[in-house]
Amino acid sequence: MRPILLSGHERSLNQIRFNKDGDLLFSVSKDKNVCAWWTANGERLGTYAGHQGAIWTVDVSPNTVILATGSADNTVRLWNIKTGECVKTWEFPTAVKRVAFSPDGSQLLAVTEKRMGFLGAIAVLDIAYGDGEGNNLNVQADEPSLRITCTESKATVAGWSFLGRFIIAGHEDGSVSQYDPKSGEQLETAQVHEFDHQINDIQFSPDRTHFITASKDKSAKLLSARNLAILKTYIADTPLNSASITSKKDYVILGGGQAAMDVTTTSARQGKFEARFYHKVFEDEVGRVRGHFGPLNTIDVHPNGTAYASGGEDGYVRIHHFDKGYFDFMYEVEREQLRK
Amino acid sequence: MSRLGNRADWADDEEFDDPSALPAQQVITNKDGTKTVISYRFNDDNKKVKVTRRIKSTVVREHVNPQVAERRSWVKFGLEKGHPPGPTFDTTSVGENIVFRPSINWKAQAKEAEKEGGEKGSMKDQLKDKKVKCRICSGEHFTARCPFKDTMAPVEEATGGAGAEADEDKAGGLGAGSSSYVPPHMRGKAGAAGGEKMGGRFEKDDLATLRVTNVSELAEEQELRDLFERFGRVTRVFLARDRETQRAKGFAFISYADRGDAASACDKLDGFGYRHLILRVEFAKRST
Repeated sequence: MRPILLSGHERSLNQIRFNKDGDLLFSVSKDKNVCAWWTANGERLGTYAGHQGAIWTVDVSPNTVILATGSADNTVRLWNIKTGECVKTWEFPTAVKRVAFSPDGSQLLAVTEKRMGFLGAIAVLDIAYGDGEGNNLNVQADEPSLRITCTESKATVAGWSFLGRFIIAGHEDGSVSQYDPKSGEQLETAQVHEFDHQINDIQFSPDRTHFITASKDKSAKLLSARNLAILKTYIADTPLNSASITSKKDYVILGGGQAAMDVTTTSARQGKFEARFYHKVFEDEVGRVRGHFGPLNTIDVHPNGTAYASGGEDGYVRIHHFDKGYFDFMYEVEREQLRK
Repeated sequence: MSRLGNRADWADDEEFDDPSALPAQQVITNKDGTKTVISYRFNDDNKKVKVTRRIKSTVVREHVNPQVAERRSWVKFGLEKGHPPGPTFDTTSVGENIVFRPSINWKAQAKEAEKEGGEKGSMKDQLKDKKVKCRICSGEHFTARCPFKDTMAPVEEATGGAGAEADEDKAGGLGAGSSSYVPPHMRGKAGAAGGEKMGGRFEKDDLATLRVTNVSELAEEQELRDLFERFGRVTRVFLARDRETQRAKGFAFISYADRGDAASACDKLDGFGYRHLILRVEFAKRST
């Protein structure tokens, strides 16, 4: 496969997201622009300008109308995807580290940083879609409908479970907790990763019944969204920044590498800047894809499972469309299953 | 009078009419559904050239989500505002081909590859604990200095450690069994007795090698590579050249990393017009 290299950013990538149909890819980095790309050929559709600081996170509404971004300038912004206009800005006391739309797109969660005396929190915002034709998108509620404060350890990442039933958050101390998005009450919590090893990413399976966490403790875990039970563990030899579950084929893709601050002291070979593919069920590593010059900060998989993209500390996004060999590969047991 | 009129007429003769006029383009629809387009143009030397093109049109129908189709008509905005459709070179490029084949025992394979790479890295390390070993008696001296040089034939390395008697047997067998001479560097290899072919290195990718014939004399390896690389990763291009004139002899071999790519290239490029000739592409036969 020939990867498509996107060099629209001047600084390291923070997050990339495919939209639900997989035809668009959104990327945010430490520079102040958001880029939208066509997945098929890597053409840039446009940029969304307005943030005053590094952009930490991006998410796209399920109907590909609104884009949400969270930034170090303490704001969450909503954008009209088609035109590139900023339609709404919410101010928070601290930087926003993660935003995520609920499965139906009616709500948005925003994880805010713990800093300057403010505790880390998860805010839930109601999202309106105007008249359905892209007009009046700027009519949005001014205040969050719910605020969950994390008193023990700040949340670093969060997402919505199946049907928006739970909010699942990964914490700085390596624990994962489950909240009720109606009352804000903590339903369950589990110390799934080593203590004090931050969880860097949470991504859900297509049906959102289970999710994968990527942690600094060099492992990724597959957890059930219902009761936070650990289903699978994938061991890597480097701190992980991102993990994603592929559809169509049962793999997980992990990305990481030496922490950015240690990179200059090691060669590219030892840096382990590769995307690692593990079989989702058997937990075996089945292959690696190299190409980045720095640690992989973010990975996302095309919703159809036909491609994946990775964004690195080196400022590049690489879109890989899988070729035939990837789809043909099967374990012996899988092949037997198919024959039956 | 009429004669004069005739004379006046000849100036109007078609041949002298308008030297710059070109015959109109002709489009002929063939029986097999293809179209032949005949057009005329002037080339750089101001000569009239007839161009005949055969066009086969295939309709590729793709079902797309209407929302996705609607999005394709969106105009660019932000930093891309006003740019023409299509990727721009400053933001989008295509990386080099990555061969990604998932495999069950990936870990073991990677380790092996690393080992090989490491060995290549320093010849000194590789030879560090190598000792001089006699091919005749496995003693620690050069073969030429061996005291048994005149009485024994060299033994296969594989049986070297098995004991002196066994060695002698094998040695005799080698001399008697296969009459053909085996060069020293081939001895001890598994396939040595069968007579390994030159360039055995390429044997395993013979399956993905194409033989291209009717190649123009003026062909260049790079051109061929460009032409064939469209279908997949090309590992080797061999263009036979005349030793004296350095012109192509008219055939070439193209090896692919993947047989599937080779098959599609074979399919697409057989009958392809390259330079002034029509290429003939087929799978290379094993030379036996």
